[in-house]
Amino acid sequence: MQSKLSDIELIDQVLAGNQSAYADLVKRHQRFVFTLAMRFAKGREDAEEIAQDCFIKAYRSLSTFQRQAKFSTWLYSIVYTTAMTFLRKKRVDTDSIDDEGTFIQVESQSSAYDVNNAENKSRSFYLNQAIEQLLPDDAAIITMFYKGEQSLEEIGQALGMEANTVKVKLFRARQRLKDKLERNLKHEAKELI
Amino acid sequence: MNHIEEQLWNYIDGNCTPDEQSAIVKLIASDEAYRLKYQELLALNNEFSAIELDEPPMAFTYNVIEAIRTENAQVPLKAAINKRIIMGIALFFIIALAGFITYTLVSFNWSAQSLPDVAAKVPVDFKVPQISSSISKPIVEGFLFFDVVLGLFLFDTFLRRKNVAKQIK
Repeated sequence: MQSKLSDIELIDQVLAGNQSAYADLVKRHQRFVFTLAMRFAKGREDAEEIAQDCFIKAYRSLSTFQRQAKFSTWLYSIVYTTAMTFLRKKRVDTDSIDDEGTFIQVESQSSAYDVNNAENKSRSFYLNQAIEQLLPDDAAIITMFYKGEQSLEEIGQALGMEANTVKVKLFRARQRLKDKLERNLKHEAKELI
Repeated sequence: MNHIEEQLWNYIDGNCTPDEQSAIVKLIASDEAYRLKYQELLALNNEFSAIELDEPPMAFTYNVIEAIRTENAQVPLKAAINKRIIMGIALFFIIALAGFITYTLVSFNWSAQSLPDVAAKVPVDFKVPQISSSISKPIVEGFLFFDVVLGLFLFDTFLRRKNVAKQIK
């Protein structure tokens, strides 16, 4: 049985013209890239667009990947810039109907909350809900730190920040997440009473 | 309190120096407030580590590869032509020209005093065709008009390309 190829080996194959190797790379990283995109977009369709765009950009500039950092770190930096561009563009496009958009989003979130209320009472549901309420940067840093197997230095590389800045941001993000989680759980407890 | 939390998070993340680490271990063992806070943060840390990743749609990989394929297929013919083919054609012409020139130079009689008498080889009854009679004024004017239109067309193409290049930049 063939052993699992590393990211670098797959990249070498892609650069040699084997496109199916890129499909393997996409499969390997798609869940994390999509989750990270969700932290910025807050909607599956937009997140899918960002994630897809990010993989296409990565394919186009694969030959410029210098292999000094991990492929995942390089890929996450693309996700970050793609998401930022997307948000900026979206802000310009929806400036005039911004309030309406927020209303729809809040309404749809609360209705989804009601529908799932009975079946999703686990801590992980509240945790995901709390993450959704965080600022995109905070949510992205927490996700990259806990799920992206990235060190503070690597997160700094991906986001274009100093490792120390990331450390401070991570500390604050964890505090905010803790506060939001507690608030959501208290709210839920009150509703049950 | 914030300072305690900061210290404890550093300890949990493994970002402490050995001295700081041993100091925190002692504090956790001796100070009840530290111990409780440590347990709380450790539980949170475990919870954060268990965050579930979102699942993209089933056809995500397929869509990405298809998008790449479509993009590659849309590459203009000019960029899609393999440079090796162009180099090969250029090489063929260079070799052919070099061969022809070399052959001419080698076969040329350098020791001869004067140039060969070309006129002697021209048949006596050779006549230069009289084409001036068939070139009338309207034909010349038409030819010039065509040249002007062609020139304007090429100039317009050049300006358009320059404009597009500027927009891309």
